This record gives sequence, structure tokens and C-alpha cells, in this order.
Amino acid sequence: MNRPGKPASRTHKKQYFSKRKYCSFCKDRVRLIDYKNTSVLGNYIMETGKILPARVSGTCSYHQKQLSKAIKRARHMALIKFVESKRG
Amino acid sequence: MNREYEIGFIINPESSDEEVKKITDNIETLLKKGKATIENVDEWGRKKLAYPIDKHSEGIYFFYKTMAPGDIINSIERRLKLSEQVMRFIILRLDDKLKKTNRLEKKWKRIDKFIKKREEERQEAAASVENEVKEEATNE
Repeated sequence: MNRPGKPASRTHKKQYFSKRKYCSFCKDRVRLIDYKNTSVLGNYIMETGKILPARVSGTCSYHQKQLSKAIKRARHMALIKFVESKRG
Repeated sequence: MNREYEIGFIINPESSDEEVKKITDNIETLLKKGKATIENVDEWGRKKLAYPIDKHSEGIYFFYKTMAPGDIINSIERRLKLSEQVMRFIILRLDDKLKKTNRLEKKWKRIDKFIKKREEERQEAAASVENEVKEEATNE
């Protein structure tokens, strides 16, 4: 089995950064994640447009739920793509 | 009972300025009729969409923040749905959900306590190091 903290498939996904030590939203004491600031949300989606799992990005469960809701709202309002096709 | 809502919508980029004004005036008059206060109007203007909607690649964005009663929001939603110029819209309720933020605050209190403890330990360590240095100096 995989060791805790390591993502399951390391070879397939291009984007892999481990921020598993702390939740960056809790560090900045963020209460509400706004779906309108795409610069913040863009750090938590993969190159293919998928939402990063919490064990990779290190966010706590409260913020991960808010984050996924915010990303889905931003996708609905055409601020973020649903799917990005792989290049090459 | 006025609650805080956020209304956002995207308008067809090929519509004229008059039509855009018509839609915004419509919504504002509806809000004022229902004794709602408009707190903030965010106009982003033309922005490129992340994916084409109705074969358009651009859209005109508007965001409103209001304190309004619930039945007005119903009528605004219907108005936005039926309007031909509005391509997408979203209406959010921005109340602070007290139950869930309590857990957050407890967590942050714990973190703050921990940080305080660490700082005090560091200061004690630094103070004891200084004392040792002074003793060495006086001994020499």
C-alpha cells in the first residue's frame, strides 16, 4: 500500500507538489473562499482542470469542501474550464 | 427579514449598451421596490469566457451584493431566467453559517495557543543563553 502522504499515481499526473504539512487557508485565517478570484482557485486544480485532492494540496476538510464548491461555481460562471485537453 | 445575497450574471456581448442598461435598471428597480439595499455593484465589463457559451467567447459580467427579502429574490431569478440577453446567472446566500465556523475558530484558538507557547519557550531559551554568556564574561 502507499505510504500515507504520498499520492497514489505519481507517474501519470504531471502536476505534483506536496503541501501536506499545513492548510494554507487556515494559515491565513480565511473564512470564506470566494469563487471569483481565479488566481487563488487556480492553485488547486490540475493541468487537466480537475480539482486536486486534499491529501496532495494539504487543505483541511472544512476548506476542501468550500474550495470544491467554489471551483464548481466558478466553472458554472465560465471563470474556470471544466476540462482542459492534454497537449501533444 | 432581509438576508444577504449575491447575484451574478453574464450578458450577451453582442447586445447594445441600451439593452445592458435596461437589464440592470430592471433589477435595480425590482430590488428597490422590495425595500432591499444594494451594497455593492461590481462591473467587470467584457471578459473572455473559459469556454464558449452559445457560440460566444466573451461576456459582460455583473455582480450585485444586496440585503433583500426572499420573495424578491424569487422574482429576480425568474426575470433572469426568462431574459434572452442573460446567458448565465448565479444567486448565492452569504449568511455566516454559525455552526460550521465555530469549529474553525476553535481550531484557530488552539493554533494560536500553540504558537504562544512556542514563542515563550524560545524567549526563555534566548534569555537563558544570554545569562550564560554574561556569566562567562564575568568569570573571565
